[in-house]
Amino acid sequence: MNQTTVANFEKPIGCYSPSVQELIVIDDVLSAMVGIEGRYILIKTVRGKNDDISFLVDPSMDLALQELAKRIFPLCKSFLLIDQFVESRSQFQNGLVNHAFSAALRALLLDYQAMVAQLEHQFRFGRLSLQGLWFYCQPMMRSMQALSTVIQKASVNNISGSAVLNLLQSQAKAMAGDNAVRLMLEKMTQCASSAYMSILERWVYEGVIDDPYGEFFIAEDKSLQKESLTQDYEAKYWRQRYSLKDGIPSFLANIAGTILTTGKYLNVMRECGHNVQVPPSENSKLMSFGSNHHYLECIKAAYNFASSELLNLINDKYDLTGRLRSIKHYLLLDQGDFLVHFMDIARDELAKKPDEVSVEKLQSLLDLALRTTAAAADPFHEGLTCVVERSSLLRRLGTFNDLEVSQRSSTDNDLEETVSITGLETFSLSYKVHWPLSIVLSRKALAKYQLIFRFLFHCKHVDRQLCGAWQIHQGVRALNTRGTAISRSSLLCRSMLKFINSLLHYLTFEVIEPNWHVMYNRLQTANSIDEVIQHHDFFLDKCLRECLLLLPELLKKVERLKSMCLQYSAATQWLISSSIDLGDSEEPVDSVGLNKAKRKSGQVLKSTTKNVAVTDSVLKFEKEFNTELQSLGSILSNNSQAEPYLAHLAQWILGVKNEQNGL
Amino acid sequence: MPREIITLQVGQCGNQIGMEFWKQLCLEHGISKDGILEDFATQGGDRKDVFFYQADDQHYIPRALLIDLEPRVINGIQNSDYRNLYNHENIFVSDHGGGAGNNWASGYDQGQHVEEEIMDMIDREADGSDSLEGFVLCHSIAGGTGSGMGSYLLETLNDRYSKKLVQTYSVFPNQMETSDVVVQPYNSLLTLKRLTLNADCVVVLDNTALNRIAVERLHLSNPTFAQTNSLVSTVMSASTTTLRYPGYMNNDLVGLLASLIPTPRCHFLMTGYTPLTVERQQANVIRKTTVLDVMRRLLQAKNIMVSSYARTKDASQAKYISILNIIQGEVDPTQVHESLQRIRERKLVNFIEWGPASIQVALSRKSPYVQTAHRVSGLMLASHTSIRHLFSKTLSQYEKLRKKQAFIDAYRKFPMFADNDLSEFDESRDIIESLVDEYKACESPDYIKWGMEDPNNMLTGEGNAAGSLDPKSVA
Repeated sequence: MNQTTVANFEKPIGCYSPSVQELIVIDDVLSAMVGIEGRYILIKTVRGKNDDISFLVDPSMDLALQELAKRIFPLCKSFLLIDQFVESRSQFQNGLVNHAFSAALRALLLDYQAMVAQLEHQFRFGRLSLQGLWFYCQPMMRSMQALSTVIQKASVNNISGSAVLNLLQSQAKAMAGDNAVRLMLEKMTQCASSAYMSILERWVYEGVIDDPYGEFFIAEDKSLQKESLTQDYEAKYWRQRYSLKDGIPSFLANIAGTILTTGKYLNVMRECGHNVQVPPSENSKLMSFGSNHHYLECIKAAYNFASSELLNLINDKYDLTGRLRSIKHYLLLDQGDFLVHFMDIARDELAKKPDEVSVEKLQSLLDLALRTTAAAADPFHEGLTCVVERSSLLRRLGTFNDLEVSQRSSTDNDLEETVSITGLETFSLSYKVHWPLSIVLSRKALAKYQLIFRFLFHCKHVDRQLCGAWQIHQGVRALNTRGTAISRSSLLCRSMLKFINSLLHYLTFEVIEPNWHVMYNRLQTANSIDEVIQHHDFFLDKCLRECLLLLPELLKKVERLKSMCLQYSAATQWLISSSIDLGDSEEPVDSVGLNKAKRKSGQVLKSTTKNVAVTDSVLKFEKEFNTELQSLGSILSNNSQAEPYLAHLAQWILGVKNEQNGL
Repeated sequence: MPREIITLQVGQCGNQIGMEFWKQLCLEHGISKDGILEDFATQGGDRKDVFFYQADDQHYIPRALLIDLEPRVINGIQNSDYRNLYNHENIFVSDHGGGAGNNWASGYDQGQHVEEEIMDMIDREADGSDSLEGFVLCHSIAGGTGSGMGSYLLETLNDRYSKKLVQTYSVFPNQMETSDVVVQPYNSLLTLKRLTLNADCVVVLDNTALNRIAVERLHLSNPTFAQTNSLVSTVMSASTTTLRYPGYMNNDLVGLLASLIPTPRCHFLMTGYTPLTVERQQANVIRKTTVLDVMRRLLQAKNIMVSSYARTKDASQAKYISILNIIQGEVDPTQVHESLQRIRERKLVNFIEWGPASIQVALSRKSPYVQTAHRVSGLMLASHTSIRHLFSKTLSQYEKLRKKQAFIDAYRKFPMFADNDLSEFDESRDIIESLVDEYKACESPDYIKWGMEDPNNMLTGEGNAAGSLDPKSVA
């Protein structure tokens, strides 16, 4: 305090007697309490980073009075700070929380001012001493102090939205020892959060974000369209359309995830054209009280409503289970008769090179096959479409980055490139999925189905070819083939059939069917769409893994065995007809000829060198096949420790005998 | 309508079991006795078109030919409730109506004479289908019409529809009681030759075993034909479920058979079914049925519909070549693996040693329109080497008769055996014997090298059948 300031006092207060001084001081203090400068108490504001307010007292004032007055100054200061804060935060850009907070503060200040007016009234009647003033100020002191601390912190960081709420709440907690202050701060919190709560309310009750100042903790990315789900491999729409931001109010932190999904579910239903709203009940108004957790229950109730409503919608109106079952019929071949017919009629088309195959033609053949088989009874079969991909299954798996394809070797490509691939290797089915089922049957899920389908489809193809070879053998049963290449060949055919059948059996009855069954049961008890997605994805991943599709080493072995089967069945016609002397050389050697031949049971099998050649090639096929099969068997048993399902496959493929021998 | 199957029911027995089969199919698919689809059965999901086609008025008609040389059974069908089910153009009864007199040669000869007429019917049926998969023949092998005419039809079908499958359901005679057909061994032998050479698959229905099952399992003191026939129809319909109620696998006949039949000639299958009931007699005790129970019971000899004449020593050598269990009903698919594992651990099945073998399982839906007391039922189709004893038995009975030259005269009346040419008998005998040998060889671990070590066989392939003449060229 320097002289010049003091000099501003009109007349040093020290001139008056202490009792007069007291009256003057009381008058000045009362003014200072509402931010007005008195005659001997000046308010000095230092503008700066932190606005600082100090009070100057005429130094000639009675020391005792000075001391008492100075004790009241912090209250005055708090008032000023709060008042300033209220002024500045009421501007619109500060957001709803700040507005609400300011309004609450203003109300508080009004009370305060009313109290000051009361005191002044008392003073005018001469019933107030400075001591008395000090006494009456006591209860206000701490509250105002605490509030000013809060607002100081708030203005330093210029915070808004949930940060304000968090600050208030943490302050209330810090003041837990002082009941009055705590209650006041909690009241403030509640008032400040009421606007926030109504944003929250609209979100959890209606699925709408009504948040003009960006204070809410859920962000909406409007650039993501629901239609993208059928294309987007990552299912971004579902995962990122709505997301949690930073700055979740601490009292909602634990339940933020639930809040997010609740609104998300409501949104899905709105996008489906269902204006669903959580039915209002008496207590559904969201309010946050310090210790009252009613709002949590409300949010949970809303979540339960939204998730069960959405599940009902998906199950009842969009018939998710029916769709899944339908997909199982076609992509997992659970009702495989359509495929038999399709492969009958599309045989020629599929034998072409992938880029020569006409997808339109395949599609019409597929439609025909679907109409004339058991699939006709399935209302959803129309969603099925044909796809001809460019690369073989092994290569496709290599590009399937998201899956943890283990031990991906760098030499993946060489094997495949040598074999010229046809439509049979690249044919696949696809299924049209529409919103909102695309949430569950996302692009990625469908891609997994397709991988399984392609594997099954090719196995079926091999099976058919071997059945053809089997039929050729049947054609010569009239001949006594004992000890000839034919009988050897028919046993090889049996081994191959056994292999492919066992593989198919394993894939269908040991992998797909039981896993589907488990998933189906889980879906019946699922409580939310996210659980449904989770069970469904789990099912697909488990199937992929157990179908060997994530184990390229094994898969390559299996593919090699399959290609041996194909080579063998392609050669069967030649093998059989070369080993039969038809006697009548003009007769064309086709299967009709064979059948005629077999009627003449006097046929003699060729004893020429050609027969030896046939025997040799049958034995060669046999040797290669058995070696490969054994090596697959040992890989399977070596890996069965880590992947127990491989032991099942080994049991199927190698049969009982080998197993007993300890293999 | 893809992969159709045409059924030929020949002779008295063939028509009887065929009739039962169609009754069962109608029941399972919700088709009324007049071929009209019942209102409750419009849901679909099943494949009726494999065995039926629809007439212009939408009623279902079996793809079946009813053939007999005497009118009794077919008249019975035509006077029954089911008279409107069949296509009347598909019924053939010979003009004279005198039957074949339990004589194979007569049946075969008459078959030759009416070939044109019957083949016209078959061709018409075949043309009516999109992609015919094959034929099923129902007959008995002991009488005259089913065996003789059936044999002729097998040969003709093989010629004319060489790319189509031929499966037969062949009823083998009851060999425990003295038959009124004394020439039964002759007829059986001659038919067996055609079954071996001209069929892709023979499902053996052994009347001896069927009777035994009826007596022991169903506690019928004197089983009637109708009762044993209902066992047969149960087996027939169950063995076609994978075709009619499509699943993951075995949705076509060729796939079903190829996995079961190891070599071209070893195509005789035996069947087992559990739990058994016959019409109007519900199972006396309703047991708990799980997949394991069913699979285990299917392996028990008492449920097998082929009797084993093997002595104990031979019986222990007998081995399964392949097994397909068709399980129907409410099955928890997770139980399948467990059950197979259990059966494997207990070593309940004796498999051949020369190649991989295991029980294959097909889970199939059950008709929703037929109520059964059991949750799960199962059919086993198996290729088992013990079936050779059935053939051996036929052979030995034949030898006994042949030695005495008994009743040969009845055969000499017909062209095939004219001029005392009995080579057809000898040839048939040789073929059956080699069939028995082949099954016997299957029991050895070295089957794969069977015959290979014999240099003569290796070089010329000359077998038992060599040197005989084509029966057709004789005619």
